[in-house]
This record gives sequence, structure tokens and C-alpha cells, in this order.
Amino acid sequence: MSSDLATTAPARRRWAARLLGLLAAAPLVVLPVRALAETWRAPSLLPQTFSTRGFAVLVASGTRAAEAVTNSLLVALVTVLVALVLGWPAARSLAAAPRGRRLVATVLLALPLLVSPFATGVGLTEWFIRLGLTDTIAGLALAHLVYVLPYVVLLLAPGFSHGVDDLEEAAAVLGAPPARRLALVVAPAVAPTLAAALLLGFLVSWSQYGTSLAVGAGIPMLPLVLLPFIGRDPQVAAALSLVFLVPALAALAATVRRER
Amino acid sequence: MNRDGWRGLAVAVMPVVVLFGGALLGALRTSLQPAPGPVFGAVDASAWGDVLGDPAFRDALVFTGRLTLVSTVLSAVLAVGAAALLRRRPAVQAVFSLPVLVPHLLAAVLAALWLGAGGLVDRALGELPVVLVRDRAGWGIVLVYLFKEVPFLTLLVLSTWGPATEDRAEAAATLGAGRAARLRFVVWPAIRAPLLLGSVIVAAYVFGSFEVPLVVGPSHPPTLATYALDATRTASLVGQARASAALLVAAGVSLGVAVVALAGVRREL
Repeated sequence: MSSDLATTAPARRRWAARLLGLLAAAPLVVLPVRALAETWRAPSLLPQTFSTRGFAVLVASGTRAAEAVTNSLLVALVTVLVALVLGWPAARSLAAAPRGRRLVATVLLALPLLVSPFATGVGLTEWFIRLGLTDTIAGLALAHLVYVLPYVVLLLAPGFSHGVDDLEEAAAVLGAPPARRLALVVAPAVAPTLAAALLLGFLVSWSQYGTSLAVGAGIPMLPLVLLPFIGRDPQVAAALSLVFLVPALAALAATVRRER
Repeated sequence: MNRDGWRGLAVAVMPVVVLFGGALLGALRTSLQPAPGPVFGAVDASAWGDVLGDPAFRDALVFTGRLTLVSTVLSAVLAVGAAALLRRRPAVQAVFSLPVLVPHLLAAVLAALWLGAGGLVDRALGELPVVLVRDRAGWGIVLVYLFKEVPFLTLLVLSTWGPATEDRAEAAATLGAGRAARLRFVVWPAIRAPLLLGSVIVAAYVFGSFEVPLVVGPSHPPTLATYALDATRTASLVGQARASAALLVAAGVSLGVAVVALAGVRREL
């Protein structure tokens, strides 16, 4: 009896863990099916007819959806690049800072994460109108930076706390100039952390809704264009959702590859 | 080193402080000076009076507070349970963490496709016994946040519920501690700080977010963010001022909750 319990309890926990994994991943399976389903009338569990119309909207030039994908990509890339330039020295300093200074800097960096992006966007619009930055890519990148930069710094900092300074110092003693030290010592040492920080920074910008709506409502961005399709045309909404999901899947694939 | 340290930090901290502080000041200015004009013009606080006296705003505040409390507490409790199940299963952990990377808007789209009227669950069961999307109680919103935030909090909990905690729990078990005692005296002290800090981030997000309520939430009551969005869509300048006032109330509540929570775990940071 007791041995039965000993074998069934771990088995139950194993199945419960698998069920959790299934609950997290299975909902996504519906997206590719819905994106290809031209007709899917209730109460049928399977679509009646299929087409690639949802994706055709994405590749057709001049549509708002195609423009939105390009704009979102551009803004996310610009934002992440600026965040990297500003975040790199800050992450190094944060990793080397004493506890008190580290706490103050972390709290200051994390403050925007506690406030609605829409509130931040509405407030920034007040000044961006005067500076001519509303409805511009530069304005959107600046607004996204408020949320991307903290993530990049806070994720990148632990990468510098594992003896990178010592390695760099050893390379300097051996005569390596700063550019070679960066390329051959520091960058490879922090590469996994850097990749995670940049991917998450990209994702944060890519999925911004509130700031994009407030600051750049005139510029089509992927989340803004996607929302109206949800009720109006689920096939296009699902196709746009799949595009919206691509960076997340890339991030997951990179994580799994790194852990192997 | 000290000077370089501060200078290095300032490169990132200053832009965030200037942009974020400027945003709060900008929202405050809009709420107090609806009409365009000089930066320091005549102050008109009528938007604040309108918002604070509006029954729809009070409904939105109560509804948003309830959604935040339910979503955050349920996410935290379920995350501890999920971490207990997944702590020795890295492969399932990787799959379970997938929703962390999925944008909130996309999670709301999935909820509409699965749980909406005529959705997949509705078709599979013949008829869904309860309304979960656009329901007045906001359970659809809560479900979307659970899908997103339970994995997020689970990852944070697992970051400190590692081999060291396991070893201490095993030592406690050898000394006769039961499961509840091990959870209370060994595991809880280790996971308390990341769980609380993560919960603050979750609560702040739920309190201020509006893409999820826009897709799966009821038309009434609104959340604070959708109340503000509706106000910005009115043609008058007063609408912008009212939206800014409502959003500043939400920001104040979020920051206040964060200060209280931080004070609670200050020594463990």
C-alpha cells in the first residue's frame, strides 16, 4: 500500500507538470489554423475552407498591416540599439556598484515599469507636440526607450558580475588595446546575457500598445493595427498575431539552444 | 572608480528619469491646463473635480482594484504551486515559460478565439456554461492575466527555489519538519522577496494596462485605463485633461503600492 503511494504520487506530480506545460503552450496552436481558415462556421470544430488571404494582407504593399510590421520592426530596432549604447556602461557600473548605490539606481530605473505605458505616453505627448516629435519614428523610439532601457540595463548587469573586469584587466596587461579587449574578451564573456537583454528589449518595444497609441497614433504600428481586426476579420487578426509572435518564438528558441 | 561608477549609471538612469519624470509632469500639466498655451499658464483644476466626482470613474477604480487584487493574488498562489511542481523539470519549465514572451494583446486574442462566444471551447462543449469573454465581472480579463503572469512569477520563484533551498528543506525534513513546516520556515523565506517584487510589477501592470480589457473586458464598468482612453476620444480638450487626471490617479496608486511592498522586503534586497 505504502509502495503504491510512493509510486503514484511522483507519477501524479509528473502528469500535473506536463498538464501545466500543455496549458501554457496549447492555446497558441489555434493561431496557424485560424490564420488559414477562410470559413469556420460554428458549431464545427474544424474549418470548412482554407485560404492564404490573412497572409496576403501582410505582404501586399501599401496596406496598413504591411506598413505596421515595418514600422514596429524599425522602432524596435532603433530603440534596442539606443538602449544598448546607453545601457552597456550603466550595466557595467551597476554590476560593480556597492549595494546602496545599486539599490537606488535599480529603483530609479524600475519606476516606469510601475506606471501604465498609456499614462507615460499621454504625458510625453504634451512635450512631444512642442518638439515636433508626435507621429514620428524618433518620438516612438524615445517613448519606448522609457520601458526598454530599464530591462536592458537590469538584465545585462549580471553578465558583468562574473569576473569580466578581471579578464579585461588581464588582456590589458598583455597589451590588448580597448577595441580588441571589447571584441575578444568582454563581448564573448557577456554574449549570452547580452543576447537575452537585447531580445527582451526588442520584445518590450515590439509589444508596446499604450505608448504607441498616445505618442504615434497616426503611425501604423503592429499592435494598434491588429486590435480592430480581432472582431472584424479573425483570419487577418490571427495572421497578424502569428507575425506578432515571431520574436517571442525566436527568443524561446535562443533560450533552449543556450541551455543545451 | 566611484565617479566613473556614478557617471556610467547616469548614462542610463538620467534618460529614464528625465523622460519618465517629464511624462508625469506633462500629464499633470495637461490635467491642470486643458487649453494649449504657455507651459506655465493659468491653472484650471476642473478636470480633477470632474473625474473625482464622476460615478463612472469610481466604478472604474473599484473594478480595476478588484481585477488587480484577484489577478495578482491568484497568480502568486498558483505560481508557488507551479514552482513546486516544476522545480526539478527544466524541460517543462521551458515550455511553461512560453507565455512570458507572448505579448498581452496576443494572449487576449487567444482568449477571444478559445473562450469567446462561438469559440473553440464553446464548440467543443456544445455551449460554454459561463460567459468568460466580455463578462461583467471581468473573469476573462483575469484568465488572460493568469495565463501571462503565473509563468512570470513561477520563473521568479524558481530563481531562488534552487538546490540550496532544497538542501535546507531536506535537512529540515530529516529533523522531523513536515511539508507545511518546510514550506513556511525554509522555502517561504527564500522565495518571499522575488515573489513580492514580481507581484508588485504584476499588480502595477494590471492596474494600468488596457489592451486586455479592450479585447476581452466588458463595456461597463471600464477599467481606469479604458476610462482614460474613452476620455481622450472625446473631441473636447477637457477630455485630454480628464484622461490625464485619471491616469495620474492610477499611477499614484501603483507607485504607492510599490513603496509599501518595497518597504516590506527592504532588508532582503
